[in-house]
Amino acid sequence: MKKIDVPILKNIVGEENISTDPADLFIYGSDSSVHSARPWVVVRPGDTQQVQQIMAYANQEKIPVVTRGGGSGMCGQTVPVQGGITLDMKRMNKILEINAPDVFCRVQPGVVDDDLNKALSPFGVFYPPTPASSRIATIGGEIGNNASGVRSVKYGATRDSVLGLKVVLADGSLVTLGARTRVEATGYQVHKLMVGSEGTLGVVVEATLSFVPIPKFRCLGMANFDRLEDAGTAIADIMASGVVPSMLELVDSVAIKAVNKTMDLGLPEVEAVLLYEADGMVKEAVDYEINTMQEVCKNNGGTGLTSSYDAKERAKIFLGRKKLFPALSKFSDALSSTSLADDMAVPYSKMAETAKMIHEIAARNNIIMTAYGHCGSGCMHTKILMAPNRQDQWESAKRAVAEIYEYVRSVKGTTSAEHGIGISKASAFKAEKNDSLKLMINMKKAFDPNNILNPGKLMDAHEDWVTATDLRYTVA
Amino acid sequence: MEIRPFETKHLDKWKSTLDSCIRCGYCYEHCPVFKDTRWESNSPRGKMIMIYGLLSGKLDPSTYIADKISSCFYCGRCNAACSSGVTLTDIITDAKRDFQGTEFETPGSTSVTNTDCAACLACVRICPHEAREFINGKIVTDTVKCQSCGICVDVCPNKAVATNLSYGTDRSSLNREIRTFLEKDNGKAIIFGCNWSYYPDFQSSVMDPETPPEYKILINMCGGRLEKPLLLEPFLQNAWGVLVACCPDGDCEHDGNVKAKTHVAALREFLKEMDMDENRIQLVQIAHGDKAGFQSAIDKFMENLNTLGPLNRQ
Ligand SMILES: Cc1cc2nc3c(=O)[nH]c(=O)nc-3n(C[C@H](O)[C@H](O)[C@H](O)COP(=O)(O)OP(=O)(O)OC[C@H]3O[C@@H](n4cnc5c(N)ncnc54)[C@H](O)[C@@H]3O)c2cc1C
Ligand code: SF4
Ligand code: SF4
Repeated sequence: MKKIDVPILKNIVGEENISTDPADLFIYGSDSSVHSARPWVVVRPGDTQQVQQIMAYANQEKIPVVTRGGGSGMCGQTVPVQGGITLDMKRMNKILEINAPDVFCRVQPGVVDDDLNKALSPFGVFYPPTPASSRIATIGGEIGNNASGVRSVKYGATRDSVLGLKVVLADGSLVTLGARTRVEATGYQVHKLMVGSEGTLGVVVEATLSFVPIPKFRCLGMANFDRLEDAGTAIADIMASGVVPSMLELVDSVAIKAVNKTMDLGLPEVEAVLLYEADGMVKEAVDYEINTMQEVCKNNGGTGLTSSYDAKERAKIFLGRKKLFPALSKFSDALSSTSLADDMAVPYSKMAETAKMIHEIAARNNIIMTAYGHCGSGCMHTKILMAPNRQDQWESAKRAVAEIYEYVRSVKGTTSAEHGIGISKASAFKAEKNDSLKLMINMKKAFDPNNILNPGKLMDAHEDWVTATDLRYTVA
Repeated sequence: MEIRPFETKHLDKWKSTLDSCIRCGYCYEHCPVFKDTRWESNSPRGKMIMIYGLLSGKLDPSTYIADKISSCFYCGRCNAACSSGVTLTDIITDAKRDFQGTEFETPGSTSVTNTDCAACLACVRICPHEAREFINGKIVTDTVKCQSCGICVDVCPNKAVATNLSYGTDRSSLNREIRTFLEKDNGKAIIFGCNWSYYPDFQSSVMDPETPPEYKILINMCGGRLEKPLLLEPFLQNAWGVLVACCPDGDCEHDGNVKAKTHVAALREFLKEMDMDENRIQLVQIAHGDKAGFQSAIDKFMENLNTLGPLNRQ
């Protein structure tokens, strides 16, 4: 371990914003993934200048820096593989400006997504990328992961909403990227490159984000499918039908059972449920879109077709979707839901096959997997339900993860739709981006020659995710 | 008393539950302890991770850990937020059991009685959790049973009971917040919200607008603990009004709402006597989770306040 001068850091942020207590190091060393490691120190900057000073020091001493927001990443993005400084951004939590006429807002990176939307709603607008974890996810973390959510099928992912950024680079210098305008053709769009870079290129200290009007009408429809494949075909058909759903979600039988168990939603225990939403300012237009989607579902064997404009009813179902991942842990008392092979994107026409393949691969490897996701944007999620204390289960999980991503590549899908790469998806990512890896490595070098920003992730990650770090579980 | 070694005797049974905790963090959204310090070790998820560390031998027990874990107001918000079926407060209690009697035991946010105690035993009688006992001429708090509700702090006529770690919920912290908001930010009203009822404000972010908000919501641990001097403090700082939110009748397990009603009624009388509009102080009863109800009560209150104008105009 390199020497770290804690008093220097204390001078920058103040005594109360620094900890080297083993308990803090243990907590800040894990996130929502299977990984665990320990930083050497947790530092909580309160403003841009402090971030600059910390980075300048770290760069000079070549100390790793892992930037952390809510710590809800699923692939170990904030797990400090090589120790160093964990930079907790939650104190930089100010909503700086809401500019309705120019349709942008400026926020510090520690602002929580739900808070931002609460602040925007009196203006009749919302910030759309919103992941299911919006109650704790910070804007900085969403930028780091290029997060997206149920409404991204219509409104895009984080990258589509970021107009500009202020970023502290590895050497402590501050740069202003992007603009405050809707379009920009001035040189390289470096702010867009920052989005999804998982804290490896710089520390975001301010973001300028665009927002959209809250539609007057939202209608949520639901269809049940006895066969998962039929739901998959319905997704592809909806996306080809000319309507733009504001949400199109698949929930498979494993997920249905788990959500029913925790939330008493009373979903029918079929092979798959599709949730689809249309929104807009004119009711007739929304009606048309909902009816079209309903028709497509019917033609593909969908039953129990219902739809509702009622906000309360929609909110209840939405909450079920938001709590799906935690709820999966309740599927069986003996199994835990682990964040593995957690997301991917495939072409619409391959949705059905992918969902089926996930269950086949799981059965072959003696584990349980679920298929769900924001299928309208081609995004498919899964989780591995397993006994995490058994070594053999990790071997099975490792095989399953490899097989899944091999399949995803074979159908020209991509390793991550929204959760990012971190540690656990790195080997699949490297295999997919085989011919552009070198370019990315060189880009990273240009930004961070000393490789201090979140080292051991993405291109730099260990090939074997199981042994890359300690596992957060105790494995016998 | 003999010091015993730390063992995870009561905690052992939670091992598989904590394997199922996916560390999503949904539980820390509204934890009053986390909100006050924003250290993850003060969050419910942080507590669970520390406990997992103790159970797996990856963390050694320490006073620091005991202190962090023993700081909990038992509001139960974390339990309600978790969909993985983790009953966090039960686990916290078992951790406190395992720490009790060891060299690491600390009160955390539980109450302590200092030397000014007159031994009137009012607190022993009133404690709803039977956490206080009179032993060998001294009041002793059972750190396992104590849920940091603070009723003992209120009832003590000698001000001998205190919580050392109150996470911004004690009188002096609230007074400080009141003054800052009214003096520096030119605010109009203070809204006292009960942590057990609904909290409609941002969870972890703050607005940095050109025009500061008209009111500030201050969270306390029970409407019953808002004594008259605290309720009057905003008026001394030129507030236009004060709104107190507490639980509906029958919902408060220690009748804090009844107390709050009495305080507010008395202050309304007082305002009348002073020739001020009594509606400058009002009380609303908000059911747990009634976000819309609370917001509309606030909006109505502010609308009325804005027609009344500032205090000195009358
Ligand atoms: C239950 C659950 C549901 C989820 N659902 C979704 C979903 O629907 N869609 C989705 O996209 N994701 C989802 N996620 C994953 C994750 O919550 C999101 O990607 C979220 O945006 C991460 O935010 P965070 O603040 O927790 O970031 P963190 O986990 O703290 O950080 C994420 C990455 O961003 C980097 N970072 C953080 N702050 C900064 C900064 N200021 N500057 C530069 N880099 C920074 C970090 O280094 C890290 O690489 C889910 C997670 C959970 C646990
Ligand atoms: S909400 Fe539940 S599953 Fe999520 S971190 Fe908290 S205890 Fe764990
Ligand atoms: S019960 Fe305790 S840990 Fe849970 S939210 Fe309330 S104060 Fe926090």
